[in-house]
Amino acid sequence: MIEFRNVSFSYPNSKDGCLKNINLTIPDGQCVLLCGRSGCGKTTLTRLINGLIPQFFTGEVTGEVLLNGENIFQLPMYRIAEKVGSVFQNPRTQFFNVDTDSEIAFGIENQALPHDELKARVKQTAEELHIQKLLGRNIFALSGGEKQKIAFASVYTMKPEIMLLDEPSSNLDMSAIVELQKHLKLIKSQGKTVIVAEHRLYYLMNVVDRILYLENGSITGDYSPKQFRALNSAKRCTMGLRTVDLCKERPLYFAAPHATPVLELRNVALSYEKKTVLHNISLQAGHGEVIAVVGHNGAGKTTFSRTLCGLHKECFGEYLWNGKTQKPKARMKRSYMVMQDVNYQLFAESVGAECTFGIKQPNIPLAEKTLSELGLAPYRNHHPNTLSGGQKQRLAAATSMVCGKELLLFDEPTSGLDYDSMVRLAALIQKLSGMGKVIFIVTHDYEFVCRTCTRILHFGGGQIQNDLSVTEENLPKIKSIFNVG
Amino acid sequence: MNTLQLDPRTKLFLILLCVLCAMFSPSLLFQFVLVALIGLLAVVSGKWKYALRGVAAYALICLFTTWCMGVMTGTWRTMFVAFLGLLHKVYACGMLAGIVISTTKVGEFLSAMARLHFPKKLTIPIAVMLRYLPTIREDWHFIKDAMRLRDVSPSLLGFLKAPAMTVNCIYVPLLTAASKAADELSIASVTRGIENPKPRTCLVEIRMRKTDWLAIVFFTAFLALELIWKVVG
Repeated sequence: MIEFRNVSFSYPNSKDGCLKNINLTIPDGQCVLLCGRSGCGKTTLTRLINGLIPQFFTGEVTGEVLLNGENIFQLPMYRIAEKVGSVFQNPRTQFFNVDTDSEIAFGIENQALPHDELKARVKQTAEELHIQKLLGRNIFALSGGEKQKIAFASVYTMKPEIMLLDEPSSNLDMSAIVELQKHLKLIKSQGKTVIVAEHRLYYLMNVVDRILYLENGSITGDYSPKQFRALNSAKRCTMGLRTVDLCKERPLYFAAPHATPVLELRNVALSYEKKTVLHNISLQAGHGEVIAVVGHNGAGKTTFSRTLCGLHKECFGEYLWNGKTQKPKARMKRSYMVMQDVNYQLFAESVGAECTFGIKQPNIPLAEKTLSELGLAPYRNHHPNTLSGGQKQRLAAATSMVCGKELLLFDEPTSGLDYDSMVRLAALIQKLSGMGKVIFIVTHDYEFVCRTCTRILHFGGGQIQNDLSVTEENLPKIKSIFNVG
Repeated sequence: MNTLQLDPRTKLFLILLCVLCAMFSPSLLFQFVLVALIGLLAVVSGKWKYALRGVAAYALICLFTTWCMGVMTGTWRTMFVAFLGLLHKVYACGMLAGIVISTTKVGEFLSAMARLHFPKKLTIPIAVMLRYLPTIREDWHFIKDAMRLRDVSPSLLGFLKAPAMTVNCIYVPLLTAASKAADELSIASVTRGIENPKPRTCLVEIRMRKTDWLAIVFFTAFLALELIWKVVG
């Protein structure tokens, strides 16, 4: 049992993520969803349970958190780790070993279990989670979803009573989310207490027993799944929560009659390290089109996007812009990619300087105008690193607008975004589309696709499986691509 | 093919021996034999290419050194000899360290250090660092793309044209990524009980095998030979 008694916490130098006067009891075996806007305090709540606060993140704490009657603040980290297992958002930085077996054993090695038991436990975990085929692999060669499974397995092997998951689905595709859901059901059936902090709610609706809604550091809602589902969508939107049922989502924009094509690919084939990844790609796209690029991990979406931007050079066939063949260099000048981790593409020391960074004769008025249009003007003198995830994305988009790029590509833009940021991003994409940009969005997020895209490009088996305009007739097919319904 | 797996403790000891060998080396020939010996170690550890490249590069350096000693005179000679002298001293150790880092699993390293009763305060940061190194390579791919999209060339030529800009474009995102990755890695390790004071066990069995002793004997014999050579010669 976990008990919070009058717990308040604040991080030094930040108002975000603080908690105020939390009183909460989570009985054994309960499966709880924590939801709310970014910065509402849900991650902070999980950190108080796994001991990262106050031992890793310092700040001002009052009150006490009890784990089976013991005060967590007085337990050393490794003792808490025996009872509370934690899985985090970013699969890239959760593993410590290069091979999967050692990684799964990492936690129990720390517990100093004898060698024979280590082996037996790793084997047992692999069987119970159905990940035998991931054993003996190099972790760097795994996909994001597979890495996340290994992270989960490593904690599972330690057999904690409580499992905490902080935005575990952020970097997962649709099928990986389905498997995560299965794993959650499994640990729940074993009687473990499960606590998940999430923005994507739909996949948890038939797993969780209880939903806690946090707002500015307080718990302002405590729902059963039935009560929660009964909230109407207008109420849910004002709470800043994402959809609970993907089936109810419908596209907002239907494809307009075909605009004159500006981008054309003729029989393009792409290879990576001499192996063909995609072949036989032919398509046309017009000004203002917003195209979702979907497909499983390894279907070639990344290679395709990098080729569009001129970053990938092993490309055969014709790439035309306004009827003229384009060399990679020319493509690079014309296009911009907003990366999944935007931190890689912010270089300057202030938001204002970022907009004109690297441009020889920058158009200052245009930069100013763009910043205020995207709601970033108040942060002009802030360091890009101090912005939130959504703001950083908008800043990256702003730089592309100042450079006058015509083709924009967004790579998994909604990972880790809350409802409000997602809506704002959708509005930004509408604006860019209105300016006549050709936009591609690599995404797994059906809710977001419904709000932005007019066309779906589905990769599979090394080629384009489907190229569908968003229309009423195509809707069932689109839903099946996204595993919805 | 089965490749040689040495105990992490052996590897550490070999590095120590290697430092001594490089220090007491009586001639260029001995240095070269030492590098060749390390090359042999790389080959049996399954690192063919690494061995070949390492030894070939060193052979070139040796040739260049003899040429310098023979042909050059004056300040140039002093300058080059001083620089090459340093290079010769560190080359072998650097090459061996490369093998050690790429063949040692983090968990294995931690467990071996626990056996040696090294304090965890020392070994955990080293483990985090070992784990962080390969992520830099991943980061670098993303950063290269980001630079090219901003019309900054991530090449030597680009660096020569606009050094300040290029350096800025590399170190800012790398630093941001590094501090984030280090935090997340530490969190992932403490929440899995890395600080547990019990002597850590390991899935990969850690014990001194015949091959470990053989490797140690080889390197010690080489060191002994060097010392004898010095005394006699």
